[in-house]
Amino acid sequence: MGQSTPIGSNTILIVEDEALLRFDMIEFFEDRGWRVYEAERAEQAIALLDRHQNIRVVLTDVQMPGSMDGLKLAHYVRERFPPTLLFVVSGHAPLSANALPARATFIPKPFDLHHVLRQIERSPVG
Amino acid sequence: MTTGTRSHPGTGPTSLTAGKGWWSRSAALRRTSGAQSVLERIRAVVVAARPSAAVRYGLAAFIIVGIALLRSFLFASFPGFFLFTPAIVVIALVLGGGAGLLANLLATVCVGFVFLDIEPVGTLSPAQWAVTTLFAATNLGLTGLVVALRIALVAADTSQASLSRSVVATVEREAFLTSVLASSTDCIKVLDLDGKLTFMSEGGQRVMEVSDFNAVEGCPWPDFWTSSGHAEAVAALAGAREGRSSDFVGRASTMQGTPKWWHVAVSPIRGADGRPDRILSVSRDITALRESEARAEVNAERVRLALAAGAIIGTWFWDIPSDRFTVDEAFATNFGLDPALGREGIPLAQIVETVHPDDQAKLAAAIAEAIERGGRYAHQYRVRRRDGQYYWLEANGRVDLAPDGRPLSFPGVLLDIEERRAAEENMRLLNGELAHRLKNVLAVVQSVTRQTLRNASDVQTASENLSARLVALGAATDVLTNASWRSADLKELVERALAPHGQLGQRILLDGPSVTLQPQVAVSLVLALHELATNAAKYGALSNDAGTVAVDWRVDGEGPEARFHLTWQERGGPPVQAPTRRGFGSTLIERSLKSYFGGTAVTEFQPEGLVFTLDARMGDAALGNGKKA
Repeated sequence: MGQSTPIGSNTILIVEDEALLRFDMIEFFEDRGWRVYEAERAEQAIALLDRHQNIRVVLTDVQMPGSMDGLKLAHYVRERFPPTLLFVVSGHAPLSANALPARATFIPKPFDLHHVLRQIERSPVG
Repeated sequence: MTTGTRSHPGTGPTSLTAGKGWWSRSAALRRTSGAQSVLERIRAVVVAARPSAAVRYGLAAFIIVGIALLRSFLFASFPGFFLFTPAIVVIALVLGGGAGLLANLLATVCVGFVFLDIEPVGTLSPAQWAVTTLFAATNLGLTGLVVALRIALVAADTSQASLSRSVVATVEREAFLTSVLASSTDCIKVLDLDGKLTFMSEGGQRVMEVSDFNAVEGCPWPDFWTSSGHAEAVAALAGAREGRSSDFVGRASTMQGTPKWWHVAVSPIRGADGRPDRILSVSRDITALRESEARAEVNAERVRLALAAGAIIGTWFWDIPSDRFTVDEAFATNFGLDPALGREGIPLAQIVETVHPDDQAKLAAAIAEAIERGGRYAHQYRVRRRDGQYYWLEANGRVDLAPDGRPLSFPGVLLDIEERRAAEENMRLLNGELAHRLKNVLAVVQSVTRQTLRNASDVQTASENLSARLVALGAATDVLTNASWRSADLKELVERALAPHGQLGQRILLDGPSVTLQPQVAVSLVLALHELATNAAKYGALSNDAGTVAVDWRVDGEGPEARFHLTWQERGGPPVQAPTRRGFGSTLIERSLKSYFGGTAVTEFQPEGLVFTLDARMGDAALGNGKKA
């Protein structure tokens, strides 16, 4: 950690309070050569984003403990770090486009990590 | 009449007997003959209606003149006073005092003329004057006596006739009253002041099923009453003795033993001095009435129970032709309406006003449709209740149509469906929550599967490990489902997780207090315990016949800052070796528990056996720590 990677690098922040799911996602991306940051809650995620400006993708669960849920975090990220690729995950019914920040992708639980990875790879760098 | 005579008390029989006696005497008179008959005829002639004055006076003059002529032919030499006297008496008796006086005058004149022919001829001597005057005075006296007799006879006849008329009227009234008493279905009784029966009407004997009045005559009337009726009867008698009328309802059996309900009115019968001297008791058989009242009451009670038991707010009845809308008390109370107005009829506008503005149009359409179609009607809408809040209710009714299709009536009930709607809403939320949890569980299964496959050396191992882990997940799910996914009891959780590994209580020993865990913490702990047990069975204390595992937990302190300790300690297993490769199992045990419990999780490979210790804040592991449920 701490090493500087230019924008466009394969760096992802996974925000998920459910450890079993988080470990799986971390391993999935690490196995594919990604640099992975993990957070259990929004506050940790913001601290990591502030510290590591090179994070290109943020994948966050909506339901999380704490004052800020995943949706609020997504809006915060879009505002503070506009180029970031955003994936919002939830086990609840699909969120409306209005509720999501611009250029964010909603992913219903459970989901296929390979599919998410392909979406990331298709996205224009930046 | 026979019965009436026999059983009628007091004056009745006496007066009837008197009547009979009079008729007997009349009959006797009619049958008598001879002298009495002549006298009777004379009396009849005397009291008979007299002819007119002209006839009476003419007849008197005619008789006197006739006698005078008769005397002059037959007894010319003889003054013949005696001939006139009987005629005057008869005339006065038959034709009246006036005719008697005229006859007397004429007879005196005739006697005077007779004396004119006797010495001294042409005039009357003093002696002749005296005789004539004496004759006139005598006849005058006789006439007076006869007139007095006649007046007495007429008066007697008049009073006898009126007596006869009043007796007839009395008999008729007696017969009328007797027939009224006999035909009344009330049991009319007369009691003496001691309350003993002296009379019972014929109809009363029928309803009381009395075959022989003599059997009950003189019996104390209150004794006919059972239970509370006896006291009421005694009180009513006491009241009647003091001049008060009263009534009561009581139970008494007829003489044949038929139990009946009676309404009894007891009142004093006053004697000539105005004081009660007998008591009248009128009992009416109200058994049928009471039974129908009781049936109606039972039905009403059933309806009340049904209305009170269910979620029924109230009932209404809409008489459509008269447009009269009535509601019961519960309806009126619930909507803050005047119950009296509810019984008489409430303007429909006042009812509609309580309906939620958004629901009024739909309600009007539903009512119009039901009235048009007839038959059942059910509609849900919101209504403002007394507290000013709107509540959901369902109106459930029926429109009755006349044969020609005109709507007649529209009765119905209002059902409180707040709870039902709340339950439906709750169910909807629960379904959503369940779907969410199901997806979470699938996500967990997905990640467990992927990590199992990732770390498996071969497909066979992967399959076995995955199956065992899914069984452990299932055990956690069982515990969570029983607690509706809100919490899980640690002891039950540990038992479920370790049961598939066997020897619970023999080689796996559990000890710890009751602790309630968060659902997610529970799932991870079950998986961790499963991994530990699997590991022990493969390489540790459960891999031989002698080893044991002690699982102990405790809570130090109180509140969220209390510490939760859990220890897994293996003993008596084969020599311990730290594994060369750390797979999913150990990763899960340490990392996930650290994450979920927010504390430390350490696995130590001590010489006597593997020791796993978990140390966490109670607030992070147990309920109420802010972890999402």
